[in-house]
Amino acid sequence: MTSPPPDSQTGPITEEEALDRLRQSEDRSQQYYGAWWLGRMRSQHPEAVPLLQQALRQRRPRDPGDGVEENAVARNAARALGKLAPAALAAVADLLEVLDDPDDGLREAAARALGELKAKEAVQPICRRLASGPDGAGALQPGTPRLMEPCEALLEALGDIGYVDPEVLAVVEPFVRHERPLIRSAAARTLLQLSGEACWGELLVDLLNHGHLRVRRAALMDLGAAGWRPALEPIRQTLAENSLKLIALRGLVERGNGDPGELALLACMDELL
Amino acid sequence: MVPTSHEALVENLRNATTAEGLLAATAALAQAPIAATAPVLVEVLGYNNPGAAVTAVDGLIRLGTAAVPALLELDPQNYGARAWAVRALAGIGDVRGLELLVEALGTDVAASVRRAAARGLGNLALGRLDPAEQTSVQERCLEALLAATSDGEWVVRYAVAVGLEGLARGLRPQDRAMEQLRHGLVALCEAADDNPPVVCLRAKVALSRLDPP
Repeated sequence: MTSPPPDSQTGPITEEEALDRLRQSEDRSQQYYGAWWLGRMRSQHPEAVPLLQQALRQRRPRDPGDGVEENAVARNAARALGKLAPAALAAVADLLEVLDDPDDGLREAAARALGELKAKEAVQPICRRLASGPDGAGALQPGTPRLMEPCEALLEALGDIGYVDPEVLAVVEPFVRHERPLIRSAAARTLLQLSGEACWGELLVDLLNHGHLRVRRAALMDLGAAGWRPALEPIRQTLAENSLKLIALRGLVERGNGDPGELALLACMDELL
Repeated sequence: MVPTSHEALVENLRNATTAEGLLAATAALAQAPIAATAPVLVEVLGYNNPGAAVTAVDGLIRLGTAAVPALLELDPQNYGARAWAVRALAGIGDVRGLELLVEALGTDVAASVRRAAARGLGNLALGRLDPAEQTSVQERCLEALLAATSDGEWVVRYAVAVGLEGLARGLRPQDRAMEQLRHGLVALCEAADDNPPVVCLRAKVALSRLDPP
């Protein structure tokens, strides 16, 4: 996930400038942009990861009355680290620490980054945060539309890391009954990635018929992430943008196997251009 | 009562007051369009209603060459409508759309528009042109497609592979353009950090179809 650059109108900047912006500490919006830039451009500079680790430590409890979202820089640093494997593997311990931060937005960014880095060390901590199930981790935070835990990101990280273990499956499975379809989609995707069992693919295909476009879009992305090829026809037929169908079908080509074969998948992609 | 005459369908569309109403009226008109309704369908492209625009594009493609004059008359400043028009022209394959497709592939900011243009440049019907004109159009298409083999978006490069494959169908093996076209596909086959396997695969399939066994 990328955030739009706040000052894109000033034109492109160099890697040195991005590092400088992150290094200084007076202007947080500059740091925010610098962190975003390093991830977006997949910087290989030796100072990128250490500076992002430092930025990740600049966090404090949320203070909604404050006006400025202090953790924005830390969140962008976490997101950037997720894109900088293998160098960012050095930052796994920092991201694991952030997984226990009181700010759930920051926990979400850390979970996604750990998933992208395929950090096996994160499996147990993530499972701990999800263990209370849909009624605990998946319950609403009082007075907000947010859940107690960033369940979607935590579930998807487990699938991305790909550590197959019965205990992990047991933690994920109850979430296919969560009241929110986006959480059900994320759980089914992870179970499909980890177990390969068709029932989870079928659950995602059912969500392609959901009445809300947002849900159909999520199911498309999840089928693509799992590369489940039997979904070809339902993907072709669901009501959503061709751009998203193409991304999903790319996932079926690159991550899937078996029937339908590659030529059938490519023929469908050709039609959607 | 469901109106059946085209006048009544156009009237319905003009009187639509909701997004759903517009979509339904466009769908009715796009189902069996006649040339006289092309300007009305083109108008819908500018209404900022994606569902209706998709339906109007389908209707315009169904209409084929008869829709082209209305599409080419679109105001270039009307960016949103132009993006949809590119898709319609790509689907119709009328050579009068050439300049608009070339420009869209080279300069449009939206990857979805560039990808449609790339497909369209491989899909132009050249049968009615004399040989010299055919060659000149093919060269324009090839030049635009080759330039787009380095597009930053994978989906556009994928569409370029599809476009090159389509363009090759109109070339003879001994044409000089064929060799350049082949180089373009070979470049798309190359594995690189930012070139996903699906693009390489599509380009390989296109190459294999250039040399049927």
